[in-house]
Amino acid sequence: MTAASPGRQPDPDAPGALAGLRVLDLSDERAIYGAKLIADLGADVVRPEPPSGDPLRERGPFAGGEPGPGRSLWYAYFASSRRSLTLDPESPAGRSRLRELARAADVVLDNGALGRAGVEAEELLAERPGIVVVRSTSFGRDGPWRDYLAPDLVASALGGVCATTGDADTPPLKLFGELAFMISGIYAAIGALAALRHARETGEGQIVDAAVHEALPTALEHVLMYAWYCDLVEWAATPVLPRQGALHWTTVYQVLQAQGGGIMVTPTPDPEAQLAWLVEEGFVEDLLDPKWQDPDLWVEYVTRLMEVMRAWVPTKEVGALFEEAQARHAPYGRVLPPELLLDNPQLGARGWWRPRTIDGRAVRGPGGPYRFERTPWRAADETAAIPAGGPLPTPEALLAAIGWDER
Amino acid sequence: MDSRSGPRPLDGVRVLDFTHVLAGPFGTRVLGDLGADVVKVSTAGRSQGVGSDPARPYFVMWNRNKRALALDMATDEARRIALDLAARADVLIDNFSPGVLDRWGLTEPVLRAANPGLIVVNMSGMGGGGPWSGYVTYAPTIHALAGLTALTGVPGRDDIGIGFSYNDHAAGLHAALAVLAALEARRRDGRGQRIEVAQFETGVNFLGPTLLDLVVNGGRAEATGNRLPYDAAAPHGCYPCRPLAGAVPGEEERWVAIAVMSDGQWRSLRALLGEPAWARDPALDRAAGRVAAMDAIDREMAAWTRTQDAEAVMQRCQAAGVPAGVVQSGVDLTRRDPQLRASGFFTTADAEHPTIGVQHVDRLPLRFSATPVETYARSSLTGEDSAAVLADWLGMSAEEVAAGEAAGTLR
Repeated sequence: MTAASPGRQPDPDAPGALAGLRVLDLSDERAIYGAKLIADLGADVVRPEPPSGDPLRERGPFAGGEPGPGRSLWYAYFASSRRSLTLDPESPAGRSRLRELARAADVVLDNGALGRAGVEAEELLAERPGIVVVRSTSFGRDGPWRDYLAPDLVASALGGVCATTGDADTPPLKLFGELAFMISGIYAAIGALAALRHARETGEGQIVDAAVHEALPTALEHVLMYAWYCDLVEWAATPVLPRQGALHWTTVYQVLQAQGGGIMVTPTPDPEAQLAWLVEEGFVEDLLDPKWQDPDLWVEYVTRLMEVMRAWVPTKEVGALFEEAQARHAPYGRVLPPELLLDNPQLGARGWWRPRTIDGRAVRGPGGPYRFERTPWRAADETAAIPAGGPLPTPEALLAAIGWDER
Repeated sequence: MDSRSGPRPLDGVRVLDFTHVLAGPFGTRVLGDLGADVVKVSTAGRSQGVGSDPARPYFVMWNRNKRALALDMATDEARRIALDLAARADVLIDNFSPGVLDRWGLTEPVLRAANPGLIVVNMSGMGGGGPWSGYVTYAPTIHALAGLTALTGVPGRDDIGIGFSYNDHAAGLHAALAVLAALEARRRDGRGQRIEVAQFETGVNFLGPTLLDLVVNGGRAEATGNRLPYDAAAPHGCYPCRPLAGAVPGEEERWVAIAVMSDGQWRSLRALLGEPAWARDPALDRAAGRVAAMDAIDREMAAWTRTQDAEAVMQRCQAAGVPAGVVQSGVDLTRRDPQLRASGFFTTADAEHPTIGVQHVDRLPLRFSATPVETYARSSLTGEDSAAVLADWLGMSAEEVAAGEAAGTLR
C-alpha cells in the first residue's frame, strides 16, 4: 500500500483531481482552508478582494517580521493556488462583476460576501440550476446566536474545544493557530464536492449551509461520548472530563519529561511488551504480582503500569527513548518543536516539502495533507487573474478576460 | 438500511471499509452520512481493543450509517470474497500500516486488474517509504511529532497539547474529501487511483504559516496560551466566572472566552465595563498598547467576570458587539446550548442499539437544500449485515452465506 511513495511520484505536471472546476472563493477565515484544499487539488479558483486588499493579508506572521504587500505568510499558506482579482463590492460595477463571476462558477464558497453584494444564493440557483453554493457561517442562518461574533477563540470555546484542552492549573485553552477553523473549512470543502457529485449525476445544484458551531462538536473525540454514555465507559467517572493536560481520557497516553525533552508515552497497544521492557530496565515494582492477571483489574493494571513509567521515563534520554520505543513497535512520540521538523528524516525522505516563492524568495513550503497517485496535489503561489496595472475589464468583458467565458 | 428517504449526495457510491479505531472510521462516517453504501469489514483475529468493540460507545460514535461484514481474512475464501467486493466497489479504504492489504493478496496489480476505477485510500501513520514508515502511531503520537503538542499549551510547557484526538478527526475528514475529489477526477477517464493520507503529514501541514515563518524568517514559534502568536488582539482569553448552580460533576468551573479583535470592539467593551479608570488609559486605545499591558488587562477582566454567570457575560458582550462565548463542555453542548437545540443538531439513530440502547447522533454539520441528510442508521454489530451485503454486492444466496458462516469464513 505504498501509494505515491517516494519512488513513485506522480507526474508533477499532470492535471489535479479538480482540474477544470471553476470556483468563486468568497471565504473568510472560517472556510478559507476548505477553499485552499479545493484550489490545491487543481480547481481554477478565483478569489476577489476589495481595492483596499483582502483583510486576511494583514494576518501574521510576515516575511521579514513586518506587514507589507505580499509579506503575509498566513496568506501565502491559506490563499495558495488562487487567482486573485480586485473588485469593489461597494460599487455597482463591482457588484455586477461579482454577479458575473458567480453565474459562471461551478461552485461558490461564500462567507456572507454574496449577500452583502446583493446576490442571493437562491437567485443564483434559479439562474444556474446546476450551481453549488456553500454558505459558511459561524452559527447557521437561524437561531438565537445567529448574529453572535465568533473569531477562533470564541468559536472554539462555544464549540467545546477549549473546555477539554489545558491543564488543571491553566485556563481552558484554544488550539494553536487555525486548527479550529481548519475543521470547519474541511467540512465546507466536503459539502462543496459532495453537492458537486450530485450535480454531476443529476444536473441538480443546491445550497449547502455549513456552520462552524456544528462542525466543531463532531470532532471532539470523547467529549460527547462522556456526556451521553458516561455510565457505559469504564474510565468516565463523570459526564464531563476536567482538563488534565496531555493525559488522554483513557489515562494511558501522557506526555512525560525525559532527559532533554518531553515525550508522549503509552503502554498500549501491547502492555505485555511494555511490561517486559520495564522488567529489562529494572523497573518492576509490583507489576509481576499475579493479581494483575485478573481481567477485572485491567483498568487498575494499566494505570499502575503508567505510574511505573512515570518513574522510569525521567531516567532516559528523550531521543534514544523515542527510537527504541518505535523499534519495539510502541507508539511513543517525541514532543517536537516545529524547528525540529525542518530536518525531519521522514518528511525529507518522502519529499514532503514543496517549492514556493515568498516575497520574491525561493523557499521550501509545506507539502500537502495527502498524496494522489495520478492527479498531484500542488500548492502554487497566488497569481493575478487580470495582469496588474491594466484597466479592470467591464462586467461584460470580465469573464472573457479571465478565461471563464467558454467551456 | 433501505429506509432512506430522499436522495443523498453519494447515492450509489460503494465503499469497502477496512478502517478501525477513529481516524478511518470518522472519514467513512462522513461518507456514509452523505449516502454512500459503506461496508465495514471486520477481520477476525485483529485486536478488538476499546476502540474497535462494536458493543461499546466509542465504536458506536464513529460507525453509524455503515453495514457490517465479517471476514476471516486468514482464509483463502474470505480473501476471494474481499477481492470480489473490491471489484464492485468505488472506494477501498484502510488505515493499516503499509503492507497489510498486500499480505491478504489485495495488491495493487490485483486490485487494478479487478477494478480499474477503484479509488484506494490508505491512511497509515507515516505513509509508505522513509525511515519512519514502520512507526506505530495514535493521535497523541502524531500530535507530539507534528509540533501540535509543543504549540498548544502555555508558555514554558510542552506537556499539554490538544485535549482530544484532533488529528484523527482531521485525517478522516481529509480522507473523505480526497475520495470526493478522486470521484470527480474519475469522471474524466474512468480510472481510479491511490491516495495516501499519511497522518503525520496531515498533522504537520496544519502548521503551515508557522512552518513558513521558520523557513523564511527563522522564527521559532512557542506556545502562547490563549494569546495570538502573530497578531495583536487584547483582551483575548478565557476568564473565570461564577460556578454554575446544579453543575454536573466535572464541570464545577465556569469560564467565558472574550476576544477583542479591533479597537472599536475595545471601546464597546470599555463602555460595557462602565468606563473604569484602568481602561481609560489612552495607552490602551490601540491594540499594540493593549497587548503590551495584557497581563494587567487579564487581571481586570477576570475580576469583572468572576462574579458573573458565564452566560450573562457572553450575552452582555455579544449585545455590545464584543465577541464572547461560554467555554462549553459536552454537557453544555448536548443539554444547554440553545443554538444547537434550535437547529436540531442532536438527534438519535433510527433504532435502539442492542448494547448501548438509545444511540445519540451529532448530525453531519452540512445542510443540503436538495439532498438533505436525514438518515442515521444505528451502528451494526460485527457481521450483522453480512448476508445483506453479500446479496447486494455479489448476489450470494442465503444458503451460500450460511455455508460461509458455518465454515468460519464469515466471522
